[in-house]
Amino acid sequence: MANAHPSDTAHHDDDHHDQPATGIKRWLFATNHKDIGTMYLVFSLIMFFIGGAMAMVIRAELFQPGLQLVDPVLFNQLTTNHALVMIFGAVMPAFVGLANWMIPMQIGAPDMALPRMNNFSFWILPFAFTLLLSTFLVPGGAAAGGWTLYPPLSLQTGDSFPMLIFAIHMMGISSIMGAINVIVTIMNMRAPGMTLLKMPLFAWSWLITAYLLIAVMPVLAGAVTMLLTDHFFGTSFFNAAGGGDPVMFEHIFWFFGHPEVYIMILPAFGIISEILPTFSRKPLFGATSMIYAIASIAFLSFIVWGHHMFVDGMPLAAQLFYMISTMLIAVPTGVKVFNWTATMWRGSLSFEPPMLFAIAFLFLFSIGGFSGLMLAIVPADFQYNQTYFVVAHFHYVLVPGAIFGIMGGVYYWLPKWTGHMYNMTLATTHFWLSAIFVNVLFFPQHFLGLAGMPRRIPDYAVQFTDWNMVSSIGGFAFGLSQILFVIVVVQCVRGGKPATAEVWTGARPTGLEWTLPSPPPYHSFTEAPQIQ
Amino acid sequence: MNSSVRRRVRNGALGLGFLALAFYLGFIVLLVLRSHH
Repeated sequence: MANAHPSDTAHHDDDHHDQPATGIKRWLFATNHKDIGTMYLVFSLIMFFIGGAMAMVIRAELFQPGLQLVDPVLFNQLTTNHALVMIFGAVMPAFVGLANWMIPMQIGAPDMALPRMNNFSFWILPFAFTLLLSTFLVPGGAAAGGWTLYPPLSLQTGDSFPMLIFAIHMMGISSIMGAINVIVTIMNMRAPGMTLLKMPLFAWSWLITAYLLIAVMPVLAGAVTMLLTDHFFGTSFFNAAGGGDPVMFEHIFWFFGHPEVYIMILPAFGIISEILPTFSRKPLFGATSMIYAIASIAFLSFIVWGHHMFVDGMPLAAQLFYMISTMLIAVPTGVKVFNWTATMWRGSLSFEPPMLFAIAFLFLFSIGGFSGLMLAIVPADFQYNQTYFVVAHFHYVLVPGAIFGIMGGVYYWLPKWTGHMYNMTLATTHFWLSAIFVNVLFFPQHFLGLAGMPRRIPDYAVQFTDWNMVSSIGGFAFGLSQILFVIVVVQCVRGGKPATAEVWTGARPTGLEWTLPSPPPYHSFTEAPQIQ
Repeated sequence: MNSSVRRRVRNGALGLGFLALAFYLGFIVLLVLRSHH
């Protein structure tokens, strides 16, 4: 095994420094995958709290019927920007951060293949989100037509419209550069002997995610560019009065939007596939079928976008196509859930924080999957569309799905990154509070939706009051619980019991990252390890 | 990184970058052509 020291780099023919620079330069000019990964993760955490603060205002307003805290325009601005911040600022950068930290270490590479581009793709993000968040301050306020930006509504945005479009372009460019980096790193920098099928599942899930990103982020960029020209340059791509078609925007948006959903969940699948075998002390059941399942889900994600548009009106054949193709996704997803369960079956389980998050993911993501199946049924969707049932569905997929995956991943690898074990009691408390209150927050929203409460409204009929109160209490408690996460992480960075190279001694962690010391050297592998 | 890996990384990155650009411009061109029917 090559646990090479940073000084052992005589043959190193690129420009990497052996030791980190000091002060602000270390971060501003960072080209090291670990430093950039750290910046992505910290940025994501900040955005998680900003998006979370918006959610708290939304839930406070919805605590009881009537208008209490915010006017309807600001409420709509908050729902729109909560989504944009959480999707593009919290979830996606968190996964890119994890990819930066872990992919080179998992494949036996010294760093990412394109370190300067890596720096650039990160540093675009703070500017993009400063621009996005500053739209609240311009005349007319921030975008309020929903994150889907459907015209003609989105074209009524005030002076902030071009700022919004530019911010989305920057986020897209950042994501595409990150994706290119992941693909060229995995395809060219694997250690000798690490064939693709020997590669860890997290790296595999990211390889497929990166291809999805390259395929669909430009489509979003194209759609918003056309919105911009419709707004400022007199084109009529989506303007019916000029011969355009607003429904066309919806098609293009969801051609991006549905794969985007999988961009936010596939890396979580990879993380769960790393955690469960470790704490079950068994190899992952059906590892190769897991890879094929991820690839199948990625392929299907391109042909199901119409299920977001059933109520727009479409030919029966199209409705049937989108309904059946959407339901087909349950097959590879079922393979994955079966394999995860079979991995735990008769395993010697232990319940450290990453494992708790992984098991919660398994149960709660499945709830989001099942409600997704309900929404795929065309006649049922006619009732569920634009109700809180949809809100409950996608939050189950994204919070106990994607975000629990991220938190499980952070708790799994944090001792490796910092060289310290964290406070298990506090992390376990964080898990239980999160797992309980995420259900208090989102489960009642199923009932509200089925009873007919529309989404994206600041006020509602009185019969919806009770479950809204429960949901809001769950929301505040879930939000407050996340402070524990920050405490655990900060404490762990500052010190703690030293972590061994294997970290989870007695469990069964497999993968090259566990052969490196904790914390790993500045350049992960300066000599390629040999894989048997 | 030896020169052959370096070349493959550069070509891979350029290829994927052009692919992304093609998707971006492709969709816009598609809609421009559609609007001329």
